[in-house]
Amino acid sequence: MPAKELNKPCMECKDAEFELTVRKRQLCSLCFKRFIAHKVQSRLSVYRAFGLDGPKTQLLLPVSLGVSSSVLLHILNTDRQHRLDNGRPVGYDFKILVIEPSTVAATGIPFDQNYEALQKNFPMHTISRIPFHSIFDYAPEMVGIMKEYAGSKFIDDSTRSNEERLAAFRASISTPTSRTDVDTVLLTRLIVEFAKKSGCESIIWGDSDSRLAAKALAGVAKGRGSSLTWQVSDGMSPWGVRFEYPLRDLYKAELLQYESVCAELSDVVIPDQPPSENVLTKNLSIDELMLRYVQNQGAKYPGVMANVARTANKLNPSASDGAPTCALCASLLGNVKGNSGVTVANQAEDNHSSQFCYGCMRSRPDELC
Amino acid sequence: MAPTACFNCKEARAVIIRPKNRHKLCRACFIKIFETEVHETIIGTNLFFPGERVAIGASGGKDSTVLAAVLKTLNERYDYGLDLCLLSIDEGIRGYRDDSLETVKRNAVQYDMPLDILGYSELYGWTMDQVVEQVGKKGNCTYCGVFRRQALDRGAARLGIRHVVTGHNADDVAETVMMNLLRGDLPRLSRGTSIVTGSDASDIKRSKPLKYAYEKEIVLYAHHRQLDYFTTECIYSPEAFRGSARTLIKDLEKIRPSSILDIVKSGEDMAALVPVEAQTIKHCERCNYISSQRICKACTLLDGLNRNRPKTAIEVGVGMEDEESSSTLMRQMERAQLSAT
Repeated sequence: MPAKELNKPCMECKDAEFELTVRKRQLCSLCFKRFIAHKVQSRLSVYRAFGLDGPKTQLLLPVSLGVSSSVLLHILNTDRQHRLDNGRPVGYDFKILVIEPSTVAATGIPFDQNYEALQKNFPMHTISRIPFHSIFDYAPEMVGIMKEYAGSKFIDDSTRSNEERLAAFRASISTPTSRTDVDTVLLTRLIVEFAKKSGCESIIWGDSDSRLAAKALAGVAKGRGSSLTWQVSDGMSPWGVRFEYPLRDLYKAELLQYESVCAELSDVVIPDQPPSENVLTKNLSIDELMLRYVQNQGAKYPGVMANVARTANKLNPSASDGAPTCALCASLLGNVKGNSGVTVANQAEDNHSSQFCYGCMRSRPDELC
Repeated sequence: MAPTACFNCKEARAVIIRPKNRHKLCRACFIKIFETEVHETIIGTNLFFPGERVAIGASGGKDSTVLAAVLKTLNERYDYGLDLCLLSIDEGIRGYRDDSLETVKRNAVQYDMPLDILGYSELYGWTMDQVVEQVGKKGNCTYCGVFRRQALDRGAARLGIRHVVTGHNADDVAETVMMNLLRGDLPRLSRGTSIVTGSDASDIKRSKPLKYAYEKEIVLYAHHRQLDYFTTECIYSPEAFRGSARTLIKDLEKIRPSSILDIVKSGEDMAALVPVEAQTIKHCERCNYISSQRICKACTLLDGLNRNRPKTAIEVGVGMEDEESSSTLMRQMERAQLSAT
């Protein structure tokens, strides 16, 4: 049979027209998806050590309904389905958690339809949906920690709803940087507690390479360099749940391309809001500034941005077993073993509290810093 | 509007808002607090010992001028017992370095410190003007930075001094942390934030007493003490990418003034987390200077320069190889002096 006449064949299969260019290779959508999926699967191969009948690791996949986590879900779901169809071991099961976006950021964008689409398109998985303020149910000890952290700025009223109590705490934190920082700490804590209660051993985060680079740079800028070993690197978190970042080899632009060729994701994903052009730098949060920096510089020097997450992933987790940790975010208190710097000593003069780490102290309401 | 009283003494009129924490201070309290913080850094890190001879790497710029002024003040106030001198490197940049060296010469008189000047042409056989003529403006900062680091050590060795202090400030250290993260340079990430470097790997100890001092506060200190310093930027353009990191640091400072110190703290913590195998330091096979590679960066750069040196520039009748070895020879002589001290 004569070969198909193709104008610009896919460089991989040579059997279809190319649709997308990825890393200077022109691929059809099928080969493109395979390429992207391979990058993810190789990161999770450690969970396939067991045979068909071996125990399955329980993973938790938090889905924000954004592009990256939705693409990760699609890849994992496709892989799982493919393996089950072919009688090959899967090695892991995963549960999906959605923290209601409207309770995290007051964007006013409805997400119910996206959530319904998620349930409809991925029916084989357990999907849970919880609001941000359920942190009081999952981690009841947080109330006391929040009171200690915010001091007189946060007066807790237990007769009010959890939603109002969390809003009162968040309102006590004055700057955009500190609010974003503390929100991230609380969200991480909520997801970890949910994972523990659901019997999950690992959390697989949907952070792209670009996002990890921005997270690493922002973490460093907020004095949280010692926590990069679990906030950006794959490894054990301080709560005894492993953190994995299987999208670390993929740029955000590639995930957007993947989404564009996945019909199942079109109703699920809430599109990113374009960054506002009219914000003064000083009114941005450090996290936003770093995202913008990575986007702008990443366009000029993509390899350089890839270096950031790769370098952070090479750091050795701190060998400080049993060392006291921060009540709020569980990072080490004081310096990492071997760091003889005196920045912490300077801070100790300003504040005698030792319950919170350097990074959390920086995000505390003003008069407590 | 009524004048604001100083946050510290509550008496004098506040004339300064501290960039580090936004405290409003009077001139005297600011100067005292700035000096006390540098003193605490020195004491907290056991930087000096009584009787130690210390060379201050002096460029005539604000950082090294403030460093010289503060060290002289603290040495007298707290009786450190240090024997201080100024050491300048003449990179050979006409219209920039020759002017700033005049400032250093005046500083030497003002602070009553001996001054020694060592030139790139003397050490390497190349001035920066000649380097730029050959390699162009793009990337010339790499040559200058690599050469200057070695030059300070070699100058100190010539003076029989084993401790060189430099005016690197918190902004410089923060920028270095970010650059090393962006470049994926783990070995430099492990040593870039250390207040003291080179003590194990080289005879010359180098330290940064202003490591926790903000650049803006250094400028304020120089201004309020009316120090004599040179303000012009180098005439050769800086690296574009490093420029983006510097802008990033300045933006961060606008958002959260403590960011600079926070990056330094992160850098210190990350340095302690760098795997040991990434920290191995070797010695250059040619000049014996510390290097992560078989041949150090300065020798590699010199090789490239000498290989491409225009024949018309060779007027002393030596061939290409002879000339290459002559500059290496010169540095070997320096090494001999290093080991003799």
